[in-house]
Amino acid sequence: MQGQNQQQAYDRGITIFSPDGRLYQVEYAREAVKRGTASVGVRTADGVVLVADRSARSPLMEEDSIEKLHTVDDHVGVASAGHVADARKLVDIARRYAQRNQLRYDEPVGVESLTKEVTDAIQEYTQTGGARPFGVALLFAGIEDGEPRLFETDPSGTPSEWQATAIGNGREQIMTHLEDEYSEDLTLGDGIALALSALAAASEDALDAVNVDVATADAESGVFRKLDREEIQDYVEDLDVDAEETDE
Amino acid sequence: MSDPFDPGRRDVSDPYAPEVAPFQHTEGTDASGQAANDSDVVTKTGTTTVGITTEDGVVIATDRRASLGGRFVSNKNVVKVEQVHPTAALTLVGSVGGAQSFIRSLRAEVDLNDAREGEPMSIHALATLAGNFARGGPFFAIHPILGGVDEDGSHVYTIDPAGGVISDDYAVTGSGMQLAYGAIEGSYDESMSIEEAQDLAARAINSATERDTGSGNGLVFATVTDEGVDVEEFDDVNEVLN
Repeated sequence: MQGQNQQQAYDRGITIFSPDGRLYQVEYAREAVKRGTASVGVRTADGVVLVADRSARSPLMEEDSIEKLHTVDDHVGVASAGHVADARKLVDIARRYAQRNQLRYDEPVGVESLTKEVTDAIQEYTQTGGARPFGVALLFAGIEDGEPRLFETDPSGTPSEWQATAIGNGREQIMTHLEDEYSEDLTLGDGIALALSALAAASEDALDAVNVDVATADAESGVFRKLDREEIQDYVEDLDVDAEETDE
Repeated sequence: MSDPFDPGRRDVSDPYAPEVAPFQHTEGTDASGQAANDSDVVTKTGTTTVGITTEDGVVIATDRRASLGGRFVSNKNVVKVEQVHPTAALTLVGSVGGAQSFIRSLRAEVDLNDAREGEPMSIHALATLAGNFARGGPFFAIHPILGGVDEDGSHVYTIDPAGGVISDDYAVTGSGMQLAYGAIEGSYDESMSIEEAQDLAARAINSATERDTGSGNGLVFATVTDEGVDVEEFDDVNEVLN
């Protein structure tokens, strides 16, 4: 009983380390990310792809009110997994930083410094009394000096850069698929197909175009853009055709 | 944590302010930050400063005179151009105190940005930042030239006291500007070498030195290339004229 009380003491305050050096609240926040629907990022030579699982809880819910992909600035956007409300707060920090950078230097913000601005804010919530950590992970996809960049943030406030990665529910299966299938010479279209097939790999049901959002940051135009329903439908159909051919 | 969405490390309310430290406010400045009453007594550079772009880099030339209102020579060997960035330099024009404070602020911001980003900021970003500082800061009337080199090539900007930032192939500021512009006009060629640009800049400074009471006492060159900034001082303009 004594031991149990001790354990509870360590996970009640995020600013308290356990004797073995762990911050339980940060680890619980990572669990919140795992419970969120997945988002996948794939970087190709031509640009970066973000795909998000946006399954609705009910057919009565308006599809467009589910926000998993967010535009931050013309050239960069975010996909989230975990608490959507927490994601919105972080996205707003990112949006404001992007515009401050534009005012200050008259240049589009770098994807790396934008990610680090947000992870610095996340970190504060692992060290400040009375606060709770952000229960969300983000993928930042954008173009910096003509180069595609893909970054991940986690609830501890650690930034990391990836060729391809996933956050949220089913991450292990998605990562296995990405690690098997990724190559550096993918086109942007190949990247979309890979991200969709990776998301499908983590699900027992077939992918439904209604349940995914897709966005790309194109290196040539330097623009982050959400694909419309018809475009997503086309990619998902191509994927089904390929899958059937493979099955045969 | 007063504002939970202010990370607390920087002032997010004002994108135009310096991050490292607030500007130094001086007595005698009004709300707009301009010197209200002592603009006649502060040491002014008078000055002629020239910036010329070439394909290989930027040549900046200045005279070396500091004066009190252009009537008394208070210093005869001022170096009115300073490095503010690994490959950029800024001239001091107007109030010496204002210009020096301006340069210290810019240098600190450039170094901070360099440490964060892992590479120096572009010259356009530096010019924009300098314009923001000139507009929002407590500096006495200053009118510097910024010359620098980056991935996009050679750049010269004038920064005016209201924060105006204008890019040009060549530019002159200071009390001798009309004389110096007259010397450059018609002789500039964008294909000139650095040596030819130095000769042209020296002629421009010489014209101002001869006829403007605020300019004189020799010449300083700052040559900016992708390698860095090289500053040379000369007691007499004729030392460099061919």
